[in-house]
Amino acid sequence: MIDLFEVARRLSAAEVEFVIVGGIAIRGHGGNYITEDLDICYSRTRDNLKKLAGVLAPLEPKPRGISKELPFVFDWTTLQQGPNFTFETLMGDVDLLGEVKGIGGYDDLVTKSITVDFEGFPTKILSIHSLIVAKQAAGRPKDQPGLQVLYALQESEAEGE
Amino acid sequence: MNRTREEKLLNPRPGSKIAAAVEYGIDMTQLVENLRLTPAERVRRNDEVVNSVRKIAAAVSKAKAAKAKIG
Repeated sequence: MIDLFEVARRLSAAEVEFVIVGGIAIRGHGGNYITEDLDICYSRTRDNLKKLAGVLAPLEPKPRGISKELPFVFDWTTLQQGPNFTFETLMGDVDLLGEVKGIGGYDDLVTKSITVDFEGFPTKILSIHSLIVAKQAAGRPKDQPGLQVLYALQESEAEGE
Repeated sequence: MNRTREEKLLNPRPGSKIAAAVEYGIDMTQLVENLRLTPAERVRRNDEVVNSVRKIAAAVSKAKAAKAKIG
């Protein structure tokens, strides 16, 4: 059973500095996109890495696509090893991004996000406009359905008509 | 005339991006339904759908395995 909402809620409750991007962000804006992973762009300060690791550690994160036989230790120093990680956890897949193509790192994203309420915890999700920019920059065929949804949502919230 | 968000999605102007999305195959009624929910509810709904699909997939796999065993 996945519970990506709960993962995001816990991150917000722990005051981790992160912005939700990808499919869950599209979903948060009202899209009918269905996704099996939570993609977040996060601040890479030491303090934030410690908070992030503190939330994820109980979820027993393991790198996806790597043999389960290989030893893997997860703590905040693991997150110092590089900016991007793809983890499977007890609550579903969680992808950590140091930056988003076409937009930048956490400090850039935070100014291009909106804050929504995740059951009592303010949570940042990337704006519709910036999701479009990011998906256009990625240039992947698999993003086309999501882009169509984003274009429709953007147009529907525009003033006028 | 200022149309509501729902009106724009359900009755798109010809040549609009919404009309293009409909042409692409996006179901605007689903977007309208989602927009009636809070962001938190929308994300929870995603989790519910994924979990339901996984249950169905597991049931299909189980049925196929049972059939193969009999055959």
